[in-house]
Amino acid sequence: MRNILTALTAIIIASSAGQVMAQEKSSSFKPFLEHRIVAGFNFGATTPMGFPNTIRSIDGYWPEFSPALGYELSLRASQIWGAAIGVKMDFKGMGTKDKVQYFHTIITVQDGSSTGTFEGTFTGRNKTIARNAYLSFPVSAVFTPNDNWRFSLGGYVAWKFSANFHGDVSDGYIRNGGPTGEKVIVDHATFDFGNEVRNFDIGFQGGAERRVGKKLSVLGNLAWGVRPIFPDSFKGLDFPLYNVFLMLGVSYKI
Amino acid sequence: MIRRTLCFGALLATLFSSSCIKDAPLNPEADIDSFIVAKSQLTSDPFIDQVNSKILLYLKQSAYENGVVPRIVPVPGAKVTPDPGDTLKFDQSTGLGLTAYTVTSQDGRYHKTYTVQVVNIGVWAWDFEHWVEQSPNRYMYPIEADSSSIWSSGNPGIAIALPSNQKVPGSYPLRDTTDAYHGSHAAVLETRGGTPLSSLVGIRLFAGSLFLGVFDSRFGLTNPLAATQFGQPYIGKPKSFTGYYKYTPGAVFQDKSGKPVAGATDSCSIYAVLYSGTTRLDATNIQTSDRIVAIAKLPDGGAKANYTRFNLPFVYYRPATSQMMLAIVMSSSYLGDQYQGAIGSRLTVDSLQIIHE
Repeated sequence: MRNILTALTAIIIASSAGQVMAQEKSSSFKPFLEHRIVAGFNFGATTPMGFPNTIRSIDGYWPEFSPALGYELSLRASQIWGAAIGVKMDFKGMGTKDKVQYFHTIITVQDGSSTGTFEGTFTGRNKTIARNAYLSFPVSAVFTPNDNWRFSLGGYVAWKFSANFHGDVSDGYIRNGGPTGEKVIVDHATFDFGNEVRNFDIGFQGGAERRVGKKLSVLGNLAWGVRPIFPDSFKGLDFPLYNVFLMLGVSYKI
Repeated sequence: MIRRTLCFGALLATLFSSSCIKDAPLNPEADIDSFIVAKSQLTSDPFIDQVNSKILLYLKQSAYENGVVPRIVPVPGAKVTPDPGDTLKFDQSTGLGLTAYTVTSQDGRYHKTYTVQVVNIGVWAWDFEHWVEQSPNRYMYPIEADSSSIWSSGNPGIAIALPSNQKVPGSYPLRDTTDAYHGSHAAVLETRGGTPLSSLVGIRLFAGSLFLGVFDSRFGLTNPLAATQFGQPYIGKPKSFTGYYKYTPGAVFQDKSGKPVAGATDSCSIYAVLYSGTTRLDATNIQTSDRIVAIAKLPDGGAKANYTRFNLPFVYYRPATSQMMLAIVMSSSYLGDQYQGAIGSRLTVDSLQIIHE
């Protein structure tokens, strides 16, 4: 994780340096604004960085319906360098099936005014569907080497406006309290951690755009969250999860 | 575009499959999974009480005197000491095994010590004078004069569902009371409401229960009816089942979803079932199994303000066999096995006895 941060910081610094040099060369260039509508779908995962050894196998993965739609305002400061800010409605969803072993969890159940909790280690099958919707604000440095290509790199902040994180566990057992607690068979139980998902996400993002028409381009943009989607106080999973999603779509210059 | 999506999908699939999966963790569990003794030496299948780390053995007299050589199967990777190949001998006065078995988990971090206890019912009469608080769940359970436990209840299952701050004796449906018919204590069974955790599996009411037998906590969450396993080994021919009880139904009868049922009144159930074989029947088949030899049942479980005597004759359906078990089952809500009843229904029982022919 730290390596990625260092690399990205280096690239951003390098690109700002490039920008200054570029401006010196083309003094006749007049900065101008561009407007784009961006639309596409997010593919990716809400995932740990490296799987803990309690996850024994991934038996299935599928993207959930995760559209993204936004507007981008960019400033072409020079022939090839510029900056962009945007606002985007981002659905980030996926589903996965896996097998876990000795997986520590605390399940909290709210029923009216009373709360029940159950702590233990689970061994068995798990299915999880995560589908969170954010209003995100990407900020990027933009590099436009020619008329056909456009590259961007920067960060984003995002506010959650709807959260889904639910699933079921089956064909397994949970040990009450921990490894030496009594075995309680779980043939099927559901969980819903949607209320626990954090409201605020932040991360890095970068992408490439290829012009395919007069105003139309296809693009890919990777957004890599650096803040776990659950707060530290959440004990349903004993490892952090991050949003890592690639948007594939189009942009239209208006 | 499509091709690119596919490429990325393939990339992700690779990312999330085998390449990222680490080596399996060493097993942290330290359970004895099975404790096997030759069937010819037993009057009932051994029971491993995982909650209290006890192995309950039901031995024929000869096996009790000579000892047994058990085969012990721990969870994979765990080690058992002392060597289970040694003969396990029993103290003839206390019934306790001279050895306890300690299991060490494969990862070496966890240990569990099981004590072996021989269960033998000498006199089929109970006054419920001796009670013990279970640790750490803090429910009460009755013990015999030799401190063995032959009665069980739904309390161990409710312990799974109760929030830890509610784990006090008064929260559990079965507990002791000083309102006794004879002696200083009696058993009280009181139907209570479900908990947030139990409502997750559709249980909104826990009837109070007390039965001869064991509670298999493995099924506590998914199939509580299979968890309550009824019966203890019995030799002879029972004639009747007697005792004293009083009963107050709770105010509002509710159905499985917790909705009140107008006009319905709760009643209690008290019965004894004699059946053949050495494997226990449970709440799913105790009244329907074709192994049933005889049943003695309280016909009317209605309200009784004061201690009332019952004397229930065993009605025989089949001839008695050589290997039999006898179950006594009592509940403060007669439809408690369907999670229906009235919260607050209260059954008090004392001075139970099986009269033999």
